[in-house]
Amino acid sequence: MKRRIFLKGSLAAGTLAVAAGAGMLTPKSVLAAAWPKAAFESETEADALNAFFGTSDAEESDQVSIKAPLQAENGAVVPVKVMTSLTGVEGIAICAIKNPRPYTTSLRVSDGGGGLYSTRIKMGQTSPVHCYVKAGGKLYMASQEIKVTVGGCGG
Amino acid sequence: MKKLISLALAAGIALVGVSTVQAISESEIQQDIEAFQGYFLKRFPGLTIEDFQDGVNALPQYAHRRANWELAMEFPPYEPEMEKAAEEWNMPFANGKSLNDCDLAPGHTYPVFDAATGDLRTIVGDINACLKANGEDPIKNVKRAKMARLVAHYRSQFNGERVAIDFSDPGAQALYEKGRQFYWAKRGQLNFSCADCHVHNAGNMVRGDVLSAGLGHGVGFPVWRTKWQVAGKPWGTIHRRYGGCNKQVRAHPFKAQGEEYKALEFYEAVMNTGIPLKVPSQRQ
Amino acid sequence: MASTKMKIKKSKSGGYEVMVLAKHPMETGLRKDKKTGNKIPEHFIENMEFAVNGEVVAQANLGTGVSKNPLIGVGIPNAKPGDTVTVSWVDNKGESDSAEKAVK
Repeated sequence: MKRRIFLKGSLAAGTLAVAAGAGMLTPKSVLAAAWPKAAFESETEADALNAFFGTSDAEESDQVSIKAPLQAENGAVVPVKVMTSLTGVEGIAICAIKNPRPYTTSLRVSDGGGGLYSTRIKMGQTSPVHCYVKAGGKLYMASQEIKVTVGGCGG
Repeated sequence: MKKLISLALAAGIALVGVSTVQAISESEIQQDIEAFQGYFLKRFPGLTIEDFQDGVNALPQYAHRRANWELAMEFPPYEPEMEKAAEEWNMPFANGKSLNDCDLAPGHTYPVFDAATGDLRTIVGDINACLKANGEDPIKNVKRAKMARLVAHYRSQFNGERVAIDFSDPGAQALYEKGRQFYWAKRGQLNFSCADCHVHNAGNMVRGDVLSAGLGHGVGFPVWRTKWQVAGKPWGTIHRRYGGCNKQVRAHPFKAQGEEYKALEFYEAVMNTGIPLKVPSQRQ
Repeated sequence: MASTKMKIKKSKSGGYEVMVLAKHPMETGLRKDKKTGNKIPEHFIENMEFAVNGEVVAQANLGTGVSKNPLIGVGIPNAKPGDTVTVSWVDNKGESDSAEKAVK
């Protein structure tokens, strides 16, 4: 079942100018692509997605899969692996919704790159983790909640 | 052997090093192994003895957390340190020799009872003894960092070998009994024994964590722990872990490489008879 | 100092995967120095680029929400044995490191 998700959140001024997906790589721009500061500094997920992908209109897809623990062993080191069978992948982004700045990390992909991005993120508390994949000009996503708890017997 | 023991008991002669502990025979120890292993195989049906190599990750109750470990193992965080340890193992001493020339027993047979001294040899102890014998300074911190990675390097060469401890000597049997009593004795303000958590409650929760099974404890050690990594000191020997565990039940921790933890390590190693080594391990 | 480590593995979905372990504090800028009480300034890897035979195929963008000593994995589906894979990263202070490995 695919569902459209329209993320609530204000569009930052000037966002329309970058709506063409300036956050994405084209083979020639790859080497010059600057660190996506606007996305990282956004306080809402919608703003961040608009800054990076040029859109926040994402469709839930079972072609985006997440491998991550249901419960983190340590909030400082939470492993998240995003995989997709979609072709024409342009970019991947991971957002930890309850973090002060939800946009956590992203991957720009050009022709020789693939649909896999694996990393470890910091999570302050239990939160849904949204994983986005832009492929063939469209934005797809999948979500998983990751629990962060206090340990019991650490030693 | 058995005859000697019963004669010694009859004469009221205390066994070497353990004056207040009852004697235990080799066949009784064998029965202990079967009972201990049988308990866990029954408690966790579907697990083989080999599965206990993976510690808490093998338990079905840990399924919601297992991905932490699986993803970590895609690029084990201890790999750069293991490369470093392999280099350190071959670095020449001032006298031209190296740790390669040390007289160490096979990794899956430790702790080793030394009849000559009446004491238990651990890899930690043997490394330091070898350094001293070659005119080098022993390693002071025996729980972490360099010592832990050196032990991990040595022991990992025996990965896949099944734990096989020699407890044929009465002196070894006495130390086994000392370790067994430690494991099953209550301690600390919380008044828990090792068995309370790791036998009676293996697989159950303690606050947000799942208790590991006692069977397999130490088979993957030294360990690289995420919790310790976040604090900047990722490596730990089994004695480091024992100290932490004792502190958690508000008991005074014992000294690493002291007689209590060596006896405890010996008991746990005997209980692990037949489990293949898998060193080092990555844990929470 | 080349403290960045790389691993190249065959991918189940075809091609290869590169995994990189970089040594970096990834300071958020929110932690306080216990001795001075001052905030430890932000210090984190910004971009990490992956190239196959010199051509950049992916660029990971990291921020303070990425764990210390980042472990990054990326797919390189078109890589073949003999190809050279390079990873290079730059942080917000302009410090950098790189590593290179051949696909076997």
